[in-house]
Amino acid sequence: MDYFDIIRGGAGEGFADSIFKVQDSDGRLLSMRGEVTTQIARMLVSKARNEGRLFYITNCIRFIGTKSMSQREFWQAGAELVGGREVEADAEVIALTLSALESVGIMEASIDVGNVELFRRAAERFGIGELEALKRAVASKSLGDLKKVTTDKRAQETFSYIMMKRGGPEVVMELSQMVGKGVDGYADYFKELFGLLKTYGCADRVRVDLSTLREQMKYYNGTVFEVFLDGLGVPIGGGGRYDAMMKEFGLGDTRATGFAMSVDLCVKALEGEGFNFEGERAPTAILYCDGFRDKAIRLACEMRKKGSICTVEKYNGQSEGIAVGREIVDLKTGKKYVP
Amino acid sequence: MRGLIIAIPNKGRLREPVLRLLDSVGLKRIDDDRVYLANTTMEGIQVLSVRAMDIPVYVYNGIADLGITGRDVIAEIGLEVYELADLGFGTCDLVVAVKKESTYRHPADLPQGSKVATEFPTLTRQYFNDIGVQVEIIILRGAVEIAPILGLVEGIVDLSSTGATLEKNGLKPIGRVLSSTARLICNKVSYKTKYDMIERIVENMRGCL
Repeated sequence: MDYFDIIRGGAGEGFADSIFKVQDSDGRLLSMRGEVTTQIARMLVSKARNEGRLFYITNCIRFIGTKSMSQREFWQAGAELVGGREVEADAEVIALTLSALESVGIMEASIDVGNVELFRRAAERFGIGELEALKRAVASKSLGDLKKVTTDKRAQETFSYIMMKRGGPEVVMELSQMVGKGVDGYADYFKELFGLLKTYGCADRVRVDLSTLREQMKYYNGTVFEVFLDGLGVPIGGGGRYDAMMKEFGLGDTRATGFAMSVDLCVKALEGEGFNFEGERAPTAILYCDGFRDKAIRLACEMRKKGSICTVEKYNGQSEGIAVGREIVDLKTGKKYVP
Repeated sequence: MRGLIIAIPNKGRLREPVLRLLDSVGLKRIDDDRVYLANTTMEGIQVLSVRAMDIPVYVYNGIADLGITGRDVIAEIGLEVYELADLGFGTCDLVVAVKKESTYRHPADLPQGSKVATEFPTLTRQYFNDIGVQVEIIILRGAVEIAPILGLVEGIVDLSSTGATLEKNGLKPIGRVLSSTARLICNKVSYKTKYDMIERIVENMRGCL
């Protein structure tokens, strides 16, 4: 648990609304863990650490609208990379996301990359004050809403390009030409990012989609990404750069990026491919005949040490399992059982 | 890769224009009318007929990749989906209406604590919060227009395209909550994983408008 006002400062108002809160004995509000990145950032800052690589697999709880049919408690797995050169750290985290998914058997995931700072600067360039309305229009790919936000033809052209265009780093190059001044350097950044991803061997699974803004988390301030898998209706995870939150917590000039993914959605995806999490490991019944209980318990202890799951009960003449009497017999095969 | 599923309203004012639109882009259903999930003349594309109100839910969860439903419904349900096209038909307003003889000229004239009947509780709450009137919302499932005359509520929030139903039930509109048309919506993941197929359909639809 953390003090609520600290977490609110890092995660932003919108997210703070969805956090479960309890009161400390002195009346101060405490927040339950609604996601992990903010807590890690707060922890690192309190230890004045501006470098490191951390990972977690943990449960979180959050108020969630009933319409999305999600659970309020869910499991997240993620990693944070604090420090390092921006483009190299971004590439490392994106590549790590894909290889982490591969390690549990999810081979087909793909990633879309955007950049919230590039987006903000493009909006600034066209003098669009209503940034939130613009983000909503772009995030829902609604041309009608975009036209309500700005009447400037060039701005409309630019943001509908952002909305609709997906592809390689050339998308950013083309956008830079449309926007002109104010977004210098991003074309080179994306070119380098994709060069690094090629070295990691995953560039063909990553695409640029500049409408990717990860709006649910306000703390992102650079490259952000979302992870997709065919057949799942919602992104399986995502991440991005949050240097601004480190600064908000008091550690200016600290670079930080990371990702989180939903363990529950990973499980769902694997189940969809026929992976069975329940397994066939029904416990083995060890059934003792009169006078042989101690021998049965000793056998069970031995088997458990070797990793078996077993129960000990009195033989009632019907059960299936391993009967322990003068001899130990597997009742299924009728043969003498050698543990 | 799985095929593509398009969710459309199983009845109501949008049903016929939607079927005509699908016809004109070459998507004819080949199964019986009562089949909720029907195959079409295009291989791999199925049409799912469900309640207009449920379409954003099917699309958000990725059960359907595309859906056609009203802007009013999308706003009420509030789930995040892509809104790829304004299809232009199905024009109507979500309005606040009261009895014809009432002295209220604007929704803000309704007294604090008034009862309002609607099928759109979320939009109704937002609207009255924004204008600073606290109302008690009564959720009804259809024929909302009769509620004021029977004395159940002071006002209603309901869809109106020509105003005829309001008129016939002794009501007058005094404010607009939003304007709606039919929209083509898309699941956010499907848009990325089935991009080519979806773009083709969207292009065809835009061409038919």
